[in-house]
Amino acid sequence: MKPMLSNEIITADVINAATPKTKIEVKNLNFYYGESKALKDITLSLPERSVTAFIGPSGCGKSTLLRVFNRIYELYPKQRADGEVLLDGENILERSQDLNLLRTKIGMVFQKPTPFPMSIYENIAFGIRLYEKLTKAEMDERVEQALKRAALWTEVKDKLDASGTSLSGGQQQRLCIARTVAVKPEVILLDEPCSALDPLSTARIEELIDELQADYTIVIVTHNMQQAARVSAQTAFMYLGELIEFDKTEKIFTAPSEKRTQDYITGRFG
Amino acid sequence: MSAAVSSLYSRRKARNSVMMTLCVVAAGIGLAWLALILGALLWKGFAGLNLAVFTEMTPPPGEAGGLSNAIAGSVAMTVIAVVVGTPVGILAGTYMAEYGRFSKITVVVRFINDILLSAPSIIIGLFIYELMVRPMGHFSALAGAVALAMLVIPVVVRTTEDMLNLVPNALREAGTAIGAPRWIVIRSVAYRAALSGIVTGILLAVARISGETAPLLFTALNNQFWSGNLNAPMASLPVTIFQFALSPYEEWQQLAWTGALIITFTVLGLSIFARSLTGRRI
Repeated sequence: MKPMLSNEIITADVINAATPKTKIEVKNLNFYYGESKALKDITLSLPERSVTAFIGPSGCGKSTLLRVFNRIYELYPKQRADGEVLLDGENILERSQDLNLLRTKIGMVFQKPTPFPMSIYENIAFGIRLYEKLTKAEMDERVEQALKRAALWTEVKDKLDASGTSLSGGQQQRLCIARTVAVKPEVILLDEPCSALDPLSTARIEELIDELQADYTIVIVTHNMQQAARVSAQTAFMYLGELIEFDKTEKIFTAPSEKRTQDYITGRFG
Repeated sequence: MSAAVSSLYSRRKARNSVMMTLCVVAAGIGLAWLALILGALLWKGFAGLNLAVFTEMTPPPGEAGGLSNAIAGSVAMTVIAVVVGTPVGILAGTYMAEYGRFSKITVVVRFINDILLSAPSIIIGLFIYELMVRPMGHFSALAGAVALAMLVIPVVVRTTEDMLNLVPNALREAGTAIGAPRWIVIRSVAYRAALSGIVTGILLAVARISGETAPLLFTALNNQFWSGNLNAPMASLPVTIFQFALSPYEEWQQLAWTGALIITFTVLGLSIFARSLTGRRI
């Protein structure tokens, strides 16, 4: 009996390695801002531990879709979603879903860097403290780890007590990534994380994204098509609230099957 | 063509300098009055400023004395008013800016609060007179403090709401996105970002009530003597100034000037401190 069982497990592992597991599955998702429909019948699956990019012209719904994944839209009345979004097979749109716990699993980094009005150290510790009781030494360790993960440690290790807002824009954005990573999420949502940054900072963030995908499922919204091509494995092209095409990034940028995708990536509109 | 342009241009320049002169004159007139008031206060008030003002009690007519009981009474009632009014104001402002941001109640509360903000303070005094002084049968420091608290609340509500509204939504979203419940986002992120503004609002409220006379006339009245009893009439600087300034006795008039000087510079100091707080961002 026993060897049989272990054989089965090995087989399962092999299959998993060949076809990456789906982390987030979106089924027939519609989204409404009051009366107006912003997402129309979206269906797609995002594989685990890889980078997926959402591209499309302004107002196409790419940010809206991202904001459904952690239900941050719930902060505002009159915004609602229907359909299904499965995180590891569980529908996060259920009413019974605990939103705070959901958000510890799905972190988010915003367009403009949003350091909290506290020290660099506290910026990181804030999220950890919400759900874990750590000793001072353990906390120091976690903060250091997170800052190292976000490639910020060497720049700030001597001024952890300085205000988070005293950092440069690029450093602030890496601080926000560190803060997100610190609470050990499974998914990281990036909402145009580089659009307020200079090219050098952008390059650093992109390197970072590349490293992080080994451990996290990453979804990035960007209006910069070169960026999507550089960092992502899959790309979804959206237009007017619809998912036009979703495929391997290489395919989207070299041989898209939809004419509208072709027009967009060649700069004919948007 | 170029002659026409240059005449158009020189006419515009002339009009500009006329308007500029008018603006400078207007600003000068405004500032001149302020300078005159401050000058008169300094001139008349400084003459009577000595240690006795702070250590001796208000004298009977014709004798020397100080303002110690009035100063202490003002401080006591102001402190109680701030301690009572500030939490109410901050909580109401927090509701309006955070929890009730999109609700209709907020619109109504804001409207009523604005009315309260600009209500003549004598009305507040009369209201507390009816509410507390008449049922209790006597004037009291407590009634005075409550009347002042009624003036503190709308100022604090307004500034708290305004300052929290200035906190970018992105910051709230960031706090929420990391898994923090709403009250923690408000407490640890929004309050912290708005702290200097909220403190400024409280200081401005203190500045406002420290010169109020009308609400105290109907509530705390006045007292010639030291009184630590909140259930009895209590002296205050504004009411003492009011009484002494109208009196025919020279010593009293001198003390009124000195009292006015003390209030004015306390308020000025508070305002400058409040300014320096908002100027300095966290």
